Amino acid sequence: MATSWVHRRDLLKWFGAGSAALVLGRVNPAGAQVSSQAAGPLPAFTGPEANPYWNGVNPFVTYPQKLPLLRLTDRGIQLETPRQYFDRAFTPNPAFYVRYHLELIPNSVDLGTWRLHLEGNFDKPMQLSFEDLVRNFPAVSIAAVNQCSGNSRSRFQPRVSGGQWGNGAMGNALWTGVRLADLLRNAGAKPGTVQFQFQGLERGLGPAGKGSQAFLKSLDVNDPVLNEAVVAYLMNGEPLPMLNGFPLRLVVPGIFSTYWIKHLTWIRALTQEDKNFWMDPAYRIPDTPKGNTTPADVAAGKVHFIPIGRVNMPVRSFVITPDGSGKLPVGLPVVVQGIAFSGDGPVTKVEVSADDGKTWALASLGEDHGPYSFRTWQYTWTPRAPGKYLLAVRATDAKGHVQSDEGVWNPGGYLWNTVERQDVIVGSTS
Amino acid sequence: MSKYYWWLLVAVFPVVALAQGLPGVVREGEYIQGTLGSIEQAAPAPAPGDSVYSVGAWPTYTPPLADGAGKDLVVGFCQVCHSTTYITMQPPLPAGAWDATVKKMINDFGAAIPEESARQITTYLQAHYAVGNRKQ
Repeated sequence: MATSWVHRRDLLKWFGAGSAALVLGRVNPAGAQVSSQAAGPLPAFTGPEANPYWNGVNPFVTYPQKLPLLRLTDRGIQLETPRQYFDRAFTPNPAFYVRYHLELIPNSVDLGTWRLHLEGNFDKPMQLSFEDLVRNFPAVSIAAVNQCSGNSRSRFQPRVSGGQWGNGAMGNALWTGVRLADLLRNAGAKPGTVQFQFQGLERGLGPAGKGSQAFLKSLDVNDPVLNEAVVAYLMNGEPLPMLNGFPLRLVVPGIFSTYWIKHLTWIRALTQEDKNFWMDPAYRIPDTPKGNTTPADVAAGKVHFIPIGRVNMPVRSFVITPDGSGKLPVGLPVVVQGIAFSGDGPVTKVEVSADDGKTWALASLGEDHGPYSFRTWQYTWTPRAPGKYLLAVRATDAKGHVQSDEGVWNPGGYLWNTVERQDVIVGSTS
Repeated sequence: MSKYYWWLLVAVFPVVALAQGLPGVVREGEYIQGTLGSIEQAAPAPAPGDSVYSVGAWPTYTPPLADGAGKDLVVGFCQVCHSTTYITMQPPLPAGAWDATVKKMINDFGAAIPEESARQITTYLQAHYAVGNRKQ
């Protein structure tokens, strides 16, 4: 019994994230996952150092229409997708992450009375039923990544308050619905329109006019993304799960999901810039390269902030397997694989390193589902000696952006896209 | 049910002794009562063929807050709009971050918290959820 206990402790030490930090002498941002052999739970929280795990450390919970997901908060609801569901280009609906801001979200929607309202500064304000949208407008489909602005916020140093996401506040789906531009053309925005505002059935208990009462997002009338945007009634060919925005969701390809309004019910043509809390001061980024700044510059009032919708999502890539949960026998090929994406056009190149980023090799890319989709990649690596290896992955997009080791810091915890790493142990076979 | 299963396995443990000679096996036949908990499957819900699309109530999974002065105020005021998982989710934060958060709730979100209560709430959060004092 005593021997067995020592063995278990050795294994825990060998596989645990703590040992990774000790051996490497630094905290490794996307380091070792705790092994499947560990018998105890992850800690209840991480910090003040960066979260070393791929996902956040939150527990699995079950929600309607969902597989067990990782609970950040339960009222409003924020659920993270576990790493293992990113081994493919399209994220299954029951595993797709959930991020609400407010408490009152629908449990039940009557499509007999629900209408999409186009109101405000339009020539022909409209109320469209679900059936109108499906039957009277051409259907289009687009594969697009939906990523929370704060995805990977738990990597920030120093840590910032907010949803402590690991990497799983993202998902890719094939969205099918009506072009937003078709709706806007039919309603006809009148001269003087400066923005279109979007609102869904999500609301809160706070006083009118405050961010705690309504969640509203607006896009500029001349934003080219309006021509790419879709109001989607299907997600991966199925009705949207309630928690992902049934019956209709705004899809804004390349842009962070704060604009992808769930349960979309109102589109308003505005004659004045939207200054509600969710446009200003919330969801703002420093107007600097990569949105990077320092706590000191923010405190000194030196930073000019802009809405996060002004930028496309920066290029990212992730190692999904191997995930560090088992030792790899030396001499056997290991298929290192994962996903990559960019809000700036297609991913053009994915490179993998097995030596902590000293040397890089080209990964092969999987099927192309369009510029806004996850792109799967894989690279076969054969370790030739036992020991500890640091796998790293970096992607390059069509605009030439390439991921680097340089971290990002801003007070909102947005725009993280640093090179991801996974440490793996290679064992001997003799 | 699962309890009985566990004891059956204990009864089978002597089999382990027979495995000593298996090539390469270092340990085997080890079982332990799961410490990470299990998650029930949700049963399918019946739905009529009308135009109403429904799911059940949203479940909450809220861990307890640290005990201490001001906890009742946190439960009373903060939970009006959101669950306290918004607190327990955070990493240990600098004391100033909790002060800023409470002010944001009042100023930006319109939380109706009297000044003295707000002060006690901030003190509670700084005493239990800040850098240096947060407990696992």
